[in-house]
Amino acid sequence: MSATQKVVVRGVNKIFPRKKEGDLVVLENIDLSVAPHEFVCLLGPSGCGKSTLLNLIGGFDRPTSGTVEIEGQAVLGPDPRRVFVFQEYGIFPWASVWDNVALGLRNLPKGEQHQIVQHYIDLVGLKGFEKTYPGELSGGMKQRVAVARALAVKPDIIFMDEPFGALDSLTRLQMRVELLRIWQQEKMTILFVTHDVDEALQLADRIVVMSPRPGRIAEIASVRLPHPRDLGSSEYGKLKNRLYELLGVSHSI
Amino acid sequence: MKLKLLIAAVAIIVGLYFLKSYLDKKKEYIPDVPAAAVPGAKSEHPEAVKERQHFIVGFLPVTCHLTCPVTSWITEHNNTGSVFESQKFTDFPSMKEALIARKIDATFMNMPLAMKLVADGTPVKIVYLGHRDGTTVMVGIDSDIHKFEDLKGKIVAIPGRFSNQNILMLKMMKEHGMKEGDITLKELPPPEHPSALAAKAIDAYIIGEPHAAVAELNHSGRVLFKAGEMWPNFISCGLVVRQEVIDNNRAMVEELVKGIASSGKWLDSDLDKGAQHRHDAALVASQKMFYNQKTAVLDYVLTKDITRVKYTDLKPPKDRFDEMMDLFNEFKLIPKHLNFEEYADVSFAPDLETIALPFDRLPGVEGIKPNVP
Amino acid sequence: MSNWPFIVAGAAILTFLLARRLRDPLPKVLLPLAVAALFVACWHVTCELMTYPYKQPDGTIRWVETFPNPWETVLGMREPIQDGTLLRFAVASVYRVAVGFGIAAAIGIPVGLCIGWFSRGAQALNPLIQAMRPISPIAWIPLAVLWFGVKDSAAIFLIALASFFPIVTGTMTAVRSIPVVFVRSAQNFGLEGFELFRRVVFPAAMPQIITSLRMALGIAWMVIVAAEMIAVDSGLGYLIMDARNANNYERVVGSMITIGLIGVGLDFLIRRLEKFDEVRWGFPNERELVTSDSLRIALGQEKVKTAIWGNLMRPGTFFRAR
Repeated sequence: MSATQKVVVRGVNKIFPRKKEGDLVVLENIDLSVAPHEFVCLLGPSGCGKSTLLNLIGGFDRPTSGTVEIEGQAVLGPDPRRVFVFQEYGIFPWASVWDNVALGLRNLPKGEQHQIVQHYIDLVGLKGFEKTYPGELSGGMKQRVAVARALAVKPDIIFMDEPFGALDSLTRLQMRVELLRIWQQEKMTILFVTHDVDEALQLADRIVVMSPRPGRIAEIASVRLPHPRDLGSSEYGKLKNRLYELLGVSHSI
Repeated sequence: MKLKLLIAAVAIIVGLYFLKSYLDKKKEYIPDVPAAAVPGAKSEHPEAVKERQHFIVGFLPVTCHLTCPVTSWITEHNNTGSVFESQKFTDFPSMKEALIARKIDATFMNMPLAMKLVADGTPVKIVYLGHRDGTTVMVGIDSDIHKFEDLKGKIVAIPGRFSNQNILMLKMMKEHGMKEGDITLKELPPPEHPSALAAKAIDAYIIGEPHAAVAELNHSGRVLFKAGEMWPNFISCGLVVRQEVIDNNRAMVEELVKGIASSGKWLDSDLDKGAQHRHDAALVASQKMFYNQKTAVLDYVLTKDITRVKYTDLKPPKDRFDEMMDLFNEFKLIPKHLNFEEYADVSFAPDLETIALPFDRLPGVEGIKPNVP
Repeated sequence: MSNWPFIVAGAAILTFLLARRLRDPLPKVLLPLAVAALFVACWHVTCELMTYPYKQPDGTIRWVETFPNPWETVLGMREPIQDGTLLRFAVASVYRVAVGFGIAAAIGIPVGLCIGWFSRGAQALNPLIQAMRPISPIAWIPLAVLWFGVKDSAAIFLIALASFFPIVTGTMTAVRSIPVVFVRSAQNFGLEGFELFRRVVFPAAMPQIITSLRMALGIAWMVIVAAEMIAVDSGLGYLIMDARNANNYERVVGSMITIGLIGVGLDFLIRRLEKFDEVRWGFPNERELVTSDSLRIALGQEKVKTAIWGNLMRPGTFFRAR
């Protein structure tokens, strides 16, 4: 079973030792597997460890116990096949849009590079902005650069840690549509962290609901609605209620 | 929170102030002697501080200004009369600026510099001289300079362009047929000359004592020639008083010059009997609050060869000063020609016959140890 | 007491009051010029306050000045300007600063980068650097003369020393304050070792390095005056010492003003470095500064946003064209 799964997380615990207040348990006994081409959301309130879990899977940190495997191999560190898109963009402000997107392709011959970079810049809708510097772009545009940069290396997995968190709600809606379009076109596995229930419902195939202190998986909900998703349908509403229930939050104020 | 920080900051500054005052008072001074350099210090001689006028005279630590600390010491040990306090400077420019800004009323200073000040409009007058001779040209101990001509192409330090040391160099250069620039004349404050010679930054220097002897005694230099050999009764520095003070407080100036003159007479009064007065003066003047130099050096300069310096015949001579004025004009140091009366006032110089010497040995001199800074 | 300083001061103050009512953009030099005029007026008045009367032997009163006034200062500088001395000395000073500063940057930036990046390096060298940094370059003068004599090299050594520590410290801080997200991104894309350093660490640190260069240049220019007073025989610092010895205080003040003006020029030059695309991001945008003008400027910002927004809203980029 694990050979066919893209990502397998087994019995993972993450403990931060502290001197005074006693060790902080961030993640407790996490079991998770992600199939290839799947869009999985990690949903939960702040402090539930979802960003930590993402970092562990991505290789930026090691679990205190348990294993993380990608395609059957243990994760030892960051790798270009598993690319992160951060909340605070992470694109380099000292390089132009073109140079940013071309970052992962620096070892390829110039002609090939050019083709790929141009394709993805067009794909995310930034045609014409190749020579612009990030300081002149809006938040949404900067995020598109990050996505383009991630896509250009054709990774197996893309991790997104609340990538639309710093954008206004209108832009967020646009970006979700864009992301789905790109995902359907390029067909890669996406692991997406969010605290926004609607976002998770609009994007994910499966939603991993997490609870805080210590971080645990409360439930993994499958969303079997086809895209484009009707935000008004009763199925959608039922799922939403279920999620709010799991999160322990009242949704009628 | 901010208020607490502000209070803490103020408390620290106030605390530092008190700490500084306390530590300043604990400075070591010779017992029984008022701390001349620290204003407000208590003296063992209550009469010395109470009810008597105080007057500050500036000086540089050179033998030409020796009568300043000596007179200062004497007046501080007297029971009557004004107290002359001495204020030490380390270089002539600061002293000049203090005079211009009226921060000091009288000071010992290079004679040409005083004349330049008058030419530039600062109202001061020369009232008395410091000493005669007492300027020497020193070269490195292993240098190959043995006569004046050997200085061609070399660097010689002078205390300032407005000094008779400079004039003497220019005069001798002219006499030996050298052009301007054949010898590089560099201005340095007197205390820096010996170290510059030792560091070989300069090849020679011409300066008043005891800075000449410093190089001689630590074996880094030797005498090339004495200024007095080339320009007899060489004049270097003298006492300069602001005109305002002369106009408004003539009595004080008279008392000052009389004190200076009697100190000078006293210094030279027992030269044939072992020069004990000069030994005393060397001991006192070399202390921390005056010159702060090695007593041995000052003593050597004043007593080893008593013709090295002379403390009599100190009434400013008109003919000599006119000669100096002509030389300034010639060497373009001072553009206009001033009359003697415009910059000198010899009315204060007393007739030495009429001065009585206050005592034989300096008071309090027995308890003083030689200074080694 | 002459009248013109008060008239000039009045005009300057009037300019300030009117300026608040005028719309942008004002001619850029107007306000600085008014401040300069006010400064000169105050200077002149202070000089006049510092003169005192002196009764000459023939009974007439002469006013004795203790400090040169603005016009005399200008006149006092006429000679060095005319015979080229001022230019020669200014070039000498700038040359020494340029060489010394260049040496400091060439050594300081790499050292700072190393110390900032390698924590062992920081542990080892930082205490020594922080101990030597507070020692004023002027305190180094005796050693400089001892080692180099009284030549150009002594002054250059002092300048290099003065500039070195701010550059190293600034560069080190720059490397240490790089947001970790940049390094994470870089590692994610497989950048390591020297390539990571070259493509990410160094460019990310550049803005702060430039800021520390700017500060170091300011310090270097201050130090050159002190350094040139140690019996070097040319340069603006030497000019001040020489003028002081010559009792020419007009030239002293005039030289000080020259030093100030050149300092402004040097700062202007180094600020041009901030305009390059590769580092512009690290410096506050005029529009983003929080000032009383930000309300007006914000309107402009909105216009920019609309332009970009309009571009994006075209069918095809965002939405499927129906």
